[in-house]
Amino acid sequence: MKKKKRRESFLFVLFVFPAMAFVLFATDIPFLMNLYYSVFEWNGVGKTMKYVGFQHFVKIFTSDRLFWQSVLFTLKFAVFFVVLVNVLSLAVALALAGGRRISHVGRAFYYVPYIISLTALSLIWKFLFGPGFDALYHMTGWNFFNLSWVGTPRLAFYVVLVMAVWQNLGFYMITYITGIVAIPRDLTEAARIDGAGSWQIIRRITIPMIMPSISVCMLTSLTFSFKLFDIIMVFTKGGPANSTVSVAYNIYKEAFTNNQYGLATAKSLVFVVFVLAVTVVQFQVTKKREVEV
Amino acid sequence: MVALLCSIFWLLPLVWIFLNSFKPYNDMMQDFLGLPGEWKLDMYVETWTKFQFPQLIANTLLYTAGTVLMVVLLAPMAAYKLARTKSRCSTFCLIVIILPMMVPFQSYMITLTKLVAGVGLAGNRLGYILVSIGLCMPLAVYMIHGFIKNVPMELEECAYIDGASPVRIYFEIVLPLLKPVLTTVLVLDTLATWNDIITNQLIVGGKRKAMNIQTALFMQFSAQTSDWEHALPGIVMSMVPALVFFMVMQKHIMEGITAGAVKG
Repeated sequence: MKKKKRRESFLFVLFVFPAMAFVLFATDIPFLMNLYYSVFEWNGVGKTMKYVGFQHFVKIFTSDRLFWQSVLFTLKFAVFFVVLVNVLSLAVALALAGGRRISHVGRAFYYVPYIISLTALSLIWKFLFGPGFDALYHMTGWNFFNLSWVGTPRLAFYVVLVMAVWQNLGFYMITYITGIVAIPRDLTEAARIDGAGSWQIIRRITIPMIMPSISVCMLTSLTFSFKLFDIIMVFTKGGPANSTVSVAYNIYKEAFTNNQYGLATAKSLVFVVFVLAVTVVQFQVTKKREVEV
Repeated sequence: MVALLCSIFWLLPLVWIFLNSFKPYNDMMQDFLGLPGEWKLDMYVETWTKFQFPQLIANTLLYTAGTVLMVVLLAPMAAYKLARTKSRCSTFCLIVIILPMMVPFQSYMITLTKLVAGVGLAGNRLGYILVSIGLCMPLAVYMIHGFIKNVPMELEECAYIDGASPVRIYFEIVLPLLKPVLTTVLVLDTLATWNDIITNQLIVGGKRKAMNIQTALFMQFSAQTSDWEHALPGIVMSMVPALVFFMVMQKHIMEGITAGAVKG
């Protein structure tokens, strides 16, 4: 019996530990290192580390103006992105949920931006906003194309927003379509026989039935917004004049540009709490949905 | 109908990039919207050799294959044992593996870079692959774990009574049953690794030798004044493998992405 138990443990280690070792190395240990570094003053390279206790956290909450500016930017982005991407993707999903071949082609078109790399994404839009808009301005003479979209603080926000929506719409569309397809056909058919119009069916049947998908998409887009980093990193670099610095990018700059390593890790922890709150809710909702389906 | 027309509009940025990639710079400026005068591949060939595409593609393929193979080998093993073992240790290991999904990558990427440099793997191909595997693992284990819970245990029990060893049971009975979820994992991780730029930049830094195609193109062309005659063919060539993969695996990709919707 004892031998059998030993064998069981051996198998457990053999099966689980390799995967776990990779995860520990790439995620868990770095995360724990965050906790450690956050109480030190350190430039990231030097040998000397000065223990400062919770001073970094005090600083973040009292005197870090740029950080709070980035929080504001992130929240503003979240409001616009969540509304825009959900309304648009739901509309597209409702239109393309049918099984016809042509709707499948349409879906694929919306989806393609989601599978291209960030490099391609940033260069494509750089080209369009640069040479592309120049050429269009010469053709049309519309001032719209002559504005410096990337170079003006007020407008750069919309550039980031447009890129984010363009890239991610396909993902939310597919999530909505999955929900719509799962609605039992007899419900909509019965409504149609009773004389309900398309709009009535959408409002009274489709929308209530896909409430779980809606909450998943809302939460996913919310966490996406909070974590906004990639597009900023490869496109605006936070500029012009710090107008597009998101929270995650502010942390990145603190570490790699300002060399305030300790402060950056402390900020990371504040950021984690911020995002985790939403993610936990998201997990609960998703789990519930899994049970229902 | 409107949605279909809009879907073409949605694809326009890519179409323009493709059309303009065949034009000399002057034509791009003068006739931005039009078809290229001739469909010449000169700039493609030049970009291919000038920016060492063979090396970049070899690197990226190596990274993608390395990551995907290791994840598809190790993740189901771990997920299977974790799902079938009921003990406190098992629960603990599961949490250690899937908790990182909820923690945003941006919060520990700084210390990760530090750690990789600390163990002497910065700027190194192996270092990047190890990190890449570790980053793909949590979602993979989570998805496979969820799948295995719905696979009945009777088959395994029968095989056990017939005297098959646990390792054999896993490889010959359990693994084939996991094919649907493994396909999803494979598709997600292939795209993620092929398209990765953030992690690659952090780990390999400025080392040209270990850059993947995305990082190299980004470094080359994202400077203020861009060399669009080479940049556009470069982008197109870096996208083609992902797009072909997308077309072949379209069904799996769309299903898979929804399944992975909760990634942190």
